[in-house]
Amino acid sequence: MPTIELSHVSKVYRTIKKDSGLRGAVKALFRPHYVEKVAVHDLSFHVDAGEVVGYIGVNGAGKSTTIKMLTGILHPSGGSIRVLGRDPHRERVANAREIGVVFGQRTQLWWDLALRESLNLIANIYELEPARYRQLLAEFAQTLELEELLSVPIRSMSLGQKMRAELAATFLHQPRVVYLDEPTIGLDVMVKERIRAFIRDQNQRNGTTVMLTTHDLDDIEQLCQRVIIIDAGSVVYDGPLSTIKQRFGTFRSIAFETAHPLEIEHLILPLGTAIASHGERALEVRFDRTVTSASQVATALMPQIEAIDFSLAEPDLESIIKQIYAGTHTAALREEVLV
Amino acid sequence: MRRYARLYWHFLLQRFKILLEYRMNFVIGAGSTVLLQAAGLLAVWSVMRQIPDLNGWTFDEILLVYGLITLSKSINHMFADNLWIFGRAYIRTGGFDRFLVRPINPLFHLLADRFCHDGIGNFVVGIALVLKASLALHIAWTPINIAYCLVAVVSGGVIFIALNLLTAVSAFWIIDSIPVTSAIFQTHEFAKYPLTIYSRGIGIVMTWLIPYGFASFYPAAHLLGRPIGVLAWLGPLIAVALITLAYRIWLWGLSHYSSTGS
Repeated sequence: MPTIELSHVSKVYRTIKKDSGLRGAVKALFRPHYVEKVAVHDLSFHVDAGEVVGYIGVNGAGKSTTIKMLTGILHPSGGSIRVLGRDPHRERVANAREIGVVFGQRTQLWWDLALRESLNLIANIYELEPARYRQLLAEFAQTLELEELLSVPIRSMSLGQKMRAELAATFLHQPRVVYLDEPTIGLDVMVKERIRAFIRDQNQRNGTTVMLTTHDLDDIEQLCQRVIIIDAGSVVYDGPLSTIKQRFGTFRSIAFETAHPLEIEHLILPLGTAIASHGERALEVRFDRTVTSASQVATALMPQIEAIDFSLAEPDLESIIKQIYAGTHTAALREEVLV
Repeated sequence: MRRYARLYWHFLLQRFKILLEYRMNFVIGAGSTVLLQAAGLLAVWSVMRQIPDLNGWTFDEILLVYGLITLSKSINHMFADNLWIFGRAYIRTGGFDRFLVRPINPLFHLLADRFCHDGIGNFVVGIALVLKASLALHIAWTPINIAYCLVAVVSGGVIFIALNLLTAVSAFWIIDSIPVTSAIFQTHEFAKYPLTIYSRGIGIVMTWLIPYGFASFYPAAHLLGRPIGVLAWLGPLIAVALITLAYRIWLWGLSHYSSTGS
C-alpha cells in the first residue's frame, strides 16, 4: 500500500465575485455571482513509504492546495485521497497523529512562549511519553543546535532559528509522513545545509516519508530521489531527477566577453543555437548539444565577435525547470508520462 | 474528556507564564476591566440616587442583576475571548490551519489557545457586587442558594459563549466576524437591568431570542423571591440547547471552510 495515494483528485474553489464598492458588496450579498476556479485537476500520483519527493511548480500551480488536501484541511471536490490508508479529511484527527507539517511562512509555535514551553505543549497535545519526549528533545537540541534557543521565545528568534525550532516541533511526535512547504525560504546557506541534513537524517533513520515543496533547487538536488512537477493543477512530470537532467539537460550555454561593443543584429548564428542574453560586450549563446557542439559554436562565432574570454556552462536544474514551466517541454513530458 | 481537562491545564500554565513575564500587562488588563465596570456602576448609582426605585426595583436589587451578569460575562471573557478575534487572528492569517493539522478538537484548541486575564477583573467585580447586594438584601447563603447561584452563573456564561460562538462562525464566510459578534453581544446591556423595566418586546427577545435574561434577571428575581414561575429554572436548559445549536453551526461552518479554504 502506498503511503500517499491520490487518484483523479480535483479541487474547484467556488468564490463570489464582488463588484467594487458598497453597491458591489450589497449586490454580492443578495445576488451572488459565483466564479469557479480550478486549483487542481485530475491529479494522480502515489508516494511510497520512506520516499523523499520534491513537489514543485510555479506559484498558483496547485502545490499548496494539494498539501492542504493531504493534511485534511481541505477536502477534494472530486477523486480520492489516501494517506496511510485513511481519508485525511474524514479521519482528520487520526491522520493528524501521524503527520507533521511545516508551512514555511508561518509558525506553528506560540509567539510569546520560550521554545521549551512550546515544545512541552506540543508534547502534551500529541500525548508523548515523558521519557521519549526528553530523549527526542535532547537529540533535536543537538542535531538542530537548539540548546541555547530553548529558553528564547519565538518572537525573538531570527528566521533561521525559527525554522530550526519549527522542524523540531514538526518531528517531535515522530510522524510517519511530513509535508514541508518551503522549509528553506529566505534562509542563508549554512542554515539550509543544517536543515537538509536534519531532514535527510530523519528520513534515513525513521523511514519518514517526506513531501517537499520548494523553489530552491538545491533542496531538490540534495534531498529528493524523485520529483513531481505540477503545472496548472496537473502533473506534468513524475520521475527521477536524473531523467529530467538527461532528457532536458541537452542545452548548454557559452558566454563570451568581447573586445568591442557587439552588433547583435549582424551576428550569424549556427544551427541549433539561440541568444540567451547579451550586453554591450557580453553574449550568452544557448545551444542544443544533440545538434551542434561547443567547438562548432565557438568556431562559428569567434571570427565575428573577437572574444577576449569565453566560458562553457553546465545545464543547471533551474534553467531546465524554467523551460518546463514555460511550456517548452510540456508536450514531450506529457508523452513520457503516458508511456 | 480527562485528556482535554489535562491539556487545558497545560495551556493555562503556559499562559500564566507569559502573563508573569508581562506583569504590567497583566495588571493593566485586569485592572482596566475593573475601572470600566466602576464607570458603568457609577452611572447606575447616580440615576438611582434620584429615584427611590426603578419600576419596583431598588438599587441593591439592581446591583444583584448587574453582578450576576458581570459574573457570567467574566466566564466568557476569561475562557472564550478568542472567539472575538477568530476571524482576524486565525482565519485571515491562516493560523487556523495549524489547529486543523493537530489531533485535537479545533474549537477546543482555539479556546484554550488564549485564556484572557482581563476577564479576571470582571470576575472580581461580579463577586463583589453579588456579595454587596446579598448582604444589603439579606439573602441567606444557604447551600441551596449557593448551588443555585453557581448553576445560574455557569449557565449564563455558557449562554454568552454560545452566542459569541454562533456569531464567530460567520468568520468562515466573511473573515472579520467582530461586527457580527458585537451586534449581538451589545444587547446584553439590556440584561444588566431588570427586564420588567422595558417594553414587552425587549423582554421577549432577551428571554427567547437572545436569552441573556437567564444570565441575570431571572436568577436574581428567583433569589429575591419574586414570582417568575418556571423561568427561574430554565437557564441551564436554555444554555445547553443554545451551546448545542452553536456547536452544530460551528461544525457546519467548518465544513464550509474545508471546501473553500477561505
